[in-house]
Amino acid sequence: MNAAFTKEDLSQHSASAASPERVLRRLFLTLFLRGRSARGLRKGGAPKSVARKLAVSLAFYALFGLFALTFLRQPVFALSVYLHAMTLVFLGMFVAASAGEVLFNKEEADILMHRPVEPRALLWAKIAVLTQVSLWLAGAFNLAGLFVGLAATDGKWSYPIVHAVSTAAEALFCTGSVVLIYQLCLRWFGRERLEGLMTTAQVLIAVAAVVAGQLAPQLLIHVGPKNLELRAGSWWIGLLPPAWFAGLDDAIAGRATVGSWVLAMCGLAATSAVLWLSFGKLAKDYQSGLQAMEEVVPRQQRRRRGRRWLDVLVHALPIRWWLRDPVARASFLLTAAYLARDRDVKLRVYPSLAPMLMMPVIFLLQDFGHHAGNGGFGTGFTAIYLGIIPMMAVKILRHSQQWQAADVFRVAPMAGPGSLCHGVRRAVLCFLALPLVAFFVLVLWVIPGGRSGLPLLLPGLITLPLYALIGCSRGRAVPLALPTEEARSAERGLSMLAVMVVSMALSGIASWAWSAGWFRWLLAVEASVATILYLVFFRSITKARWDPI
Amino acid sequence: MTRWSRGRDGSDRRDSRVVFTRKGTPSRIEEYPQMISLQNLTKRFGAQLAVDGLSLEIPAGQIVGFLGPNGAGKSTTLKMLTGMIEPSQGTATICGFDLLTQTLEVKRRVGFVPESGAVFESLTGLEYLEMVAALYAIPEEAARARIKQFIAFFDLSFETLTDKLLGAYSKGMRRKVVITAALLHNPPVVFFDEPLDGLDANAAVGFKTLIQTLAREGKTIVYSSHILDVVERVCNRVIIIDKGRLLVDGKPDELVATRGSGTLERLFTDLTGGEELERRAEDFAKTFRP
Repeated sequence: MNAAFTKEDLSQHSASAASPERVLRRLFLTLFLRGRSARGLRKGGAPKSVARKLAVSLAFYALFGLFALTFLRQPVFALSVYLHAMTLVFLGMFVAASAGEVLFNKEEADILMHRPVEPRALLWAKIAVLTQVSLWLAGAFNLAGLFVGLAATDGKWSYPIVHAVSTAAEALFCTGSVVLIYQLCLRWFGRERLEGLMTTAQVLIAVAAVVAGQLAPQLLIHVGPKNLELRAGSWWIGLLPPAWFAGLDDAIAGRATVGSWVLAMCGLAATSAVLWLSFGKLAKDYQSGLQAMEEVVPRQQRRRRGRRWLDVLVHALPIRWWLRDPVARASFLLTAAYLARDRDVKLRVYPSLAPMLMMPVIFLLQDFGHHAGNGGFGTGFTAIYLGIIPMMAVKILRHSQQWQAADVFRVAPMAGPGSLCHGVRRAVLCFLALPLVAFFVLVLWVIPGGRSGLPLLLPGLITLPLYALIGCSRGRAVPLALPTEEARSAERGLSMLAVMVVSMALSGIASWAWSAGWFRWLLAVEASVATILYLVFFRSITKARWDPI
Repeated sequence: MTRWSRGRDGSDRRDSRVVFTRKGTPSRIEEYPQMISLQNLTKRFGAQLAVDGLSLEIPAGQIVGFLGPNGAGKSTTLKMLTGMIEPSQGTATICGFDLLTQTLEVKRRVGFVPESGAVFESLTGLEYLEMVAALYAIPEEAARARIKQFIAFFDLSFETLTDKLLGAYSKGMRRKVVITAALLHNPPVVFFDEPLDGLDANAAVGFKTLIQTLAREGKTIVYSSHILDVVERVCNRVIIIDKGRLLVDGKPDELVATRGSGTLERLFTDLTGGEELERRAEDFAKTFRP
């Protein structure tokens, strides 16, 4: 073994080697495509799934972009507002979900911070990758829109080019804005609270983007493309970032009104300001943020007068009785802690649940908006649809970045994962489903005439524990025991579809039973069937044995 | 002969180059006596003082065992010296470059094996090492040649390095890659934080020989570890810190003899309150009696 190697003058190296900026860009793109941690055995194994996912996502975005065809023969401004609004939502979701992990990765600091690389070069490489992927997504979604714009009533041949430029500007604006939020959090609230703030900011941005994504089409349906076009000169539209970029399209490839030029200027000015602030002015803060990742700052101990609230909760009746199995109680506490504290879990759970909530809200508002005091399908659907929440949450909670720590469950003298599954299920019911039920009850209580529809929530409430059990079927809901890379969104989509079909059917029956005077009978039958199914599932989960690794 | 570039301009410094002979003795060491110099280096985390005014000088060719109990401030000191975190007070110079004002120059001359042994798991070993080489501006071919030398040294197969992702490596293999990544650019100063963690006995023996040879070649090595008998055998100087403060600094045998401790381990426990822990461990073990 001879470690002697040819010594060379370090200064000679730089001439023929790739620049660090290029190396970093290639590195971060590879990491983005393959995922941060790979558990596959070979290069051709697991990591490629992420690239495949990206390709599927691009195809999905391109398909979704075909909705632009509904704007055929509409004015350029209306089409562009739609395209830019949806693009902003998609990009917001993507950047919010990725930015925290990409910008501030603790492990990465150990690998790169002692290398001769400027923090600014790191920041730029990361931003370049985020922007590059954003552009791919935006390009896929806007593909159909480019050609629809050519057929707009006031569209010019240059629309595809101009729209491509405005979309690129929007992608920069979106990426820059998210980075800026992080930088400002860092500057205003200090390094010590960076980790917590990042999580909160990221969850809020993702939830806001998701909610906006659900609301934007509804708004467009209600307002209508023509109305939107008529209001292009309104002052309030200048407050909406998508309108700025739509203004650019309209100014060059549309009607070129003064209003659209003003909006275009707003867009360009806002994008420039955001880029200057986030990548120039506040770049120094990024360096201190990276260093903060390396510093273990002892948090100031808050004086507690008593025990933690979670501890109090599990020892209070009826929860104490509900969690009398110590393993289920431990699993309940673990799940609750991760739902409250872990950044990765919070980022996957809450933004995933947000769009689920919009559907019942819209149904509920439509129910009482159009047929006030009537109650009916929407209310029933809302409650039954809530079943998707525990089912989805239980599945999401199977994955964690600390999945290897779950070996402790297999080492412990337990014949199977049943008790662990029951703990997760109960935590999800307690901390996610119950607050949401309370929220919808409150909404019904407040809406004029809504109280009369409150009993219609009952069919849904009866199915809620059952749905949560289905999520744990075959004992496969061991908390935090799988790598996040293995989260299979396709499977989740299928079960969501099934739940939606069942919810539709059951709420239709409930609505009919309500108006036909059979509602009590329906509840009795449903409760009986649900109880039998509940017992069957409960027993099968309790008796489940460990899957071989 | 190896020439270490000290800076791009060099005009504002005493000498733009320091020259080492192949045998590792700096030929102009009188001009450049200290490779690492700490002046009142301090780090505060909020109200907690992690490193409390450390002042040290380490010349070229020395292997310094940097010891201390958990939370003593060892890793924090190493992270400051590698530019990963900023000192709250004081400064340090490495190869004559100021840590605060010439951070990049310092980083170019420093190799670091962090305790965490973190790597990008979704890269293959070769991709990772080539990426690291590129960050130090080592041309691809030269990097490949050096990587092959390290592969031979650590008994790794090139196929493993090209086909397997780092996520699938064993802890020991991963540690070998991290050590390779730290030495790839041939730095004059190397910091090791628990480098033997995960290495098998043969690799550990090889590694110890490697660092002794590197020191003879003129490199300065700071070796932080809890395995005291290795430190005693390998290092020609030992620094023990506790609660961020310097407790002792000297040659291991001299320190042991002066204090009458017998072994470095005994000296360490005497200085850092380990005796009390031993008593507590005995009492605690008794509670396991049936």
